[in-house]
Parts: sequence; C-alpha cells; structure tokens
Amino acid sequence: MFSISSYFSVEYLLILLPLCILLYLMLPKTARRVTLLFFSYAFFWAVSGKLIVYLLAATLTVYAFGLWIGKILDAQKQALAACEKSEKKAVRSRYHTKLLRVVVLAVLLQIGVLLVLKYSPFFSDNLNSLLRILHIQVTLKSPNFAVPIGISFYTLQAASYLIDVYHQKIPADRNLFRFALFISFFPQIMEGPICRYSDTAAQLWDVPKIRWENFVRGSERILYGLMKKTVAADRLNLLIDNVFTTYDAYDGFVICLAAVCYTIQLYMDFSGTMDVVIGTGEIFGIIMPENFRRPFFSRTISEFWTRWHITLGTWFKDYLFYPVSMSKPMKKLTSRSRRRFGNHYGPLVSGSIALFAVWVCNGLWHGSGWHYIVFGLYHFVLILTGSLILPLSIGLAQKLHIDRNHLLYRILQIIRTFLLVCVGELIFRARSLGEAVGMLRKIGTSFTLDSLHSHALFTYGMDQKDYLILLLFLVMIFILSLLQERGVRIRESIAKKGIAVHAAVWIVAILFIVLFGAYGQGYLPVDPIYAKF
Amino acid sequence: MEQLYEILEEMNPEVDFHTETALIDDHLLDSLTVLALISELEDAFDITIPAVEIVPANFNSAEAMWDLITRLMEE
Repeated sequence: MFSISSYFSVEYLLILLPLCILLYLMLPKTARRVTLLFFSYAFFWAVSGKLIVYLLAATLTVYAFGLWIGKILDAQKQALAACEKSEKKAVRSRYHTKLLRVVVLAVLLQIGVLLVLKYSPFFSDNLNSLLRILHIQVTLKSPNFAVPIGISFYTLQAASYLIDVYHQKIPADRNLFRFALFISFFPQIMEGPICRYSDTAAQLWDVPKIRWENFVRGSERILYGLMKKTVAADRLNLLIDNVFTTYDAYDGFVICLAAVCYTIQLYMDFSGTMDVVIGTGEIFGIIMPENFRRPFFSRTISEFWTRWHITLGTWFKDYLFYPVSMSKPMKKLTSRSRRRFGNHYGPLVSGSIALFAVWVCNGLWHGSGWHYIVFGLYHFVLILTGSLILPLSIGLAQKLHIDRNHLLYRILQIIRTFLLVCVGELIFRARSLGEAVGMLRKIGTSFTLDSLHSHALFTYGMDQKDYLILLLFLVMIFILSLLQERGVRIRESIAKKGIAVHAAVWIVAILFIVLFGAYGQGYLPVDPIYAKF
Repeated sequence: MEQLYEILEEMNPEVDFHTETALIDDHLLDSLTVLALISELEDAFDITIPAVEIVPANFNSAEAMWDLITRLMEE
C-alpha cells in the first residue's frame, strides 16, 4: 500500500506533491478545489489508513454543530429584532444559555475523542497506581487505541472554529467541502501550524492559479526545510538516541551536550517541517501563519514562547488564558488584588491561575506522561518567576547602573534563556520523569570532560566530520537568523532576482543536501517529532 | 484619551504610546500586562471588556484601545 511517513519522505516530495501540483495546474477552478480535498484525504489515508474515519467524523460533527450554533444565532437576531427594548436583555440571556450549552457540548465532544484516544492508557495506569496505594484490589484494563495522525492539531482547529462561530467572529460555514478542506488541508494536517478558520478557509477555497513566483518561492522554502532536517536534525539523532536511551553510561557533560543537541534537533526538525508545510502552501498561493520567529534570540522564557510554536501559544492564550482570567470571579480577584498588591503583582494572582491551567494543558497536549506535565509546569514556574522578579531586576539594574539594553546584557539574557530551554527539553525528551531526574542528577554529580579529552565523544553517534558540518551549518543558520532579526528581508530580496539566481539557489541547496545530508549507513533519520503529538 | 495615555504610561513608562501601533504584535504588552490594563480600564471608564474583545486589533495602539473604550461605553 502507498504510505507516507513524513513531509520529508520521497513519497510526499516526489510523488504526492508533484502529482497534486500537476493536476491543479491542468484543471479549472472548481476541479482545483476537488483536487486539494482529494489529495488531503489521500494524504491522510496514506499516513493513517482506516483511521481516516476519525477525521471524517470530526469534520461532519463540527460542521453540523457549527450550523446549529449559527441557527441559534439567527433565531436570536430575529427575536431581538421583534422584541421591545426592555425585553432585549431577557432574550439575550435566554439564547446565551442555549448557545453556551451547544458550544460546550460540541467542544467537549472533540476534546473528549482526543482524550480517550490519546490519554486512556495514561489515565488508567495512574488510576491503577492510585488504587494500589489505597490497597483496593481492582485493576483497570489499560486500553490502547490507534491514534490518527495530527489529531491534536485538527482538534484544536476544530475547537477554535466552534468558539469563533459562537462569538460571532466568523459565520458558520454552510459549505461542507470548504469546511472539510479547512480541517484537512494536507500540508498542515500532520504538524500544524494550527490555523484559524479566518486565516485559511477563504484562501483555500479561492484556489488561485499557481504563479511562477509562488512556485519558486515555495519550493525554495521547502529546500531550506529539507536542509535543516537532513543536515542537522538527522545528523544529531544517533547521539541523542544513544544518550537518552542509556544515559547511565554517560557522564554529565555528555548528557548536557545531548540536551543542547536535542534542543537544536527539535528546532531543526519542527521548523524545517514548517518550512516544507508553509512552502507547499505558498506554491498554491496560500499564506499560512508562521510557527517560529527565531526563538533562540529570546531574552526571556515568556518571549521564547511567543517565538516558538507560535500558533499553539496563541491558541492557548486566546481560548484558555483570557477566557479563564477574564471570567467574572477572576476579574473580581484581579480587581481586589490590584488594589492590594499594585498594578504589577495584582494581576499576577489571577493571571497565575490561568497560566497554570495553560501550562498543564500545554504539557499534556504534547503527550501522555508525567514528564510532559512537568515540562509544562517547569515553564509555568519560569514565566511566573520572571514576572515576579521583574521589578526587582529593573531596580537592581538601576542601582548598579546597568543598562538593560546593553548588547552584553542582552547576550547574557539570551544565553540564560537558551540554557533554561535546554533543561526543559531534556525533561521533554526523557522517556520518563524518573529518567529526567536521573539525567539532571548526573549532570550535577558527575560532570567531567573526560569524554572530550579521550576523544570518546566522537564515538557516541557523531564523529569529528559530523561535528564540523553541523557547526558550519549552525553558523550559517545563525547568520541568516541574525540578518532577519535586524530586519533584512532575505527571501524578499532573493524573490526579486532573476532566474539565474534562483537556479543557483536550487543547485547549491540540492548539492548541500546531497553532500552534507546525514543519510545512509551510520545515520538514523529522525521520525517527525511533532507528528507524534 | 489623555486619561488613557496616563494609564498606559503608568503601566509601562518605557513605551511611547503616542506613536506605537504594534503593542501586541511586537510583544510590548505581554498577556499579564494586558490583564492589568483591562482591569484598570474597566475601573477607570466603568466598562466591561469581554474576553472576545481581547484581540490584537483592539490593543495594538492607544487609538485602537480608545475606539474600543468608546464603543463599549456607548453599548
């Protein structure tokens, strides 16, 4: 059977995508829509097989609930138009209750499917542990469901659609095919970005003709993503796999190195995938939201999360943080605590409750394991601490006459943030919470540079040549990122150049991948990391 | 409008609220500052800002905030 494992696979890049582009080019407008929808479902089938029924069920139920909410809103509008001014409040209240019930039911249904499929083993294992502690002689069977690819991503898209219809930010879509395409569009179904209906639905349905400039621009971005994946992410995989699987055999320095390498790998893999995804969209003239904005230039953890997996962060902010912190009891709490603790610390009281909910959910969204929850809570503590000590650090800097915007100060902040992120990613990558603690303990108790002096470091999955290629590639990425940070619009500048420059870019990129890509004997290609979530 | 500028400048004296038009997009106001700001605005102008109104378009500049405030005062 034809199957696809990732956006970097030959089946995707050399078969499915070119075939889709070819058909899209040849067909008229309506048929182009059918082509995109057909290829989206074909892609899902090639990745998840029969589990496509979950995608179909989610699409149909969310579409139907959307229409239901839309119908209630229409009825409310008519009732408001027909009633006296004095009755409007009562009418609004009546419909509000009805609307709330429907939207809560619709969202819970989608989240419920996700919880059952993805978290059943985790919840039943923990329940069994609790029962054992309580000496209750009952053991629950741990169900193990097959999980369709991208469920965590399309569930959040579906939930945001329902909530946006409820808030009347968007109308309920009456066209099932347009809605199905928004949920299933093949470049983004597996790893995001988590798009809002208002971002992509109309663009997708518009199916503009493929323009040469878009094709060039999109394919160059795909090549850039391929470089990140094959040159860096795959090269790092064997070392990371070795250390994280048998960390006991390595000293603290090697574990530190593996944590840094994993942080780089995660960025190269996920942002590289986003380059392929967004590049594919660009070929079809569809602009998808960016998911990364040079995260390793962040000065604080809070800033880091506005630059890393941006669409997930904004989803949690818009659909969890603000609704929780803006609820009536929380608003009262904010108001009271502001009077008591002032403008800075006051909102932190209610804000921290909402922030706690966000980070527990963020951790759980990534996977069913305690180490994922601890990963979330780790960031919660860091962000909260950052906010708590901000006035103190500003005051201290003023007293010591330190310019907080001085380059050196900023560089130190960036390094500190990077190291804190690496610790978080160590917890994230570890196979369990116990192993994460074990690794951190080893860093603290057996940190030696022996492996470096004895050259043993070059036998753990990467040799000298690998380190050199990786270093050069990272320097190249750093220079490009630095230029972008300073406002240089590299892609726009290249886009204006003639065909000779584009041909040179393609040839250099392909040669780079062929010559320096980590494939074949001695390498272990990394599975798409974020597709598992 | 002057009252709004006073509130904003008290929140973050390092930002020029008269010229800045991307307060949220450029992360000059983080989510916790926005919470404080909303609470302050609600008290100062006797309005209720629903969660659905917390979108970048309403908070990216002092003018956008003023538009939101006047709209909510009229409702």
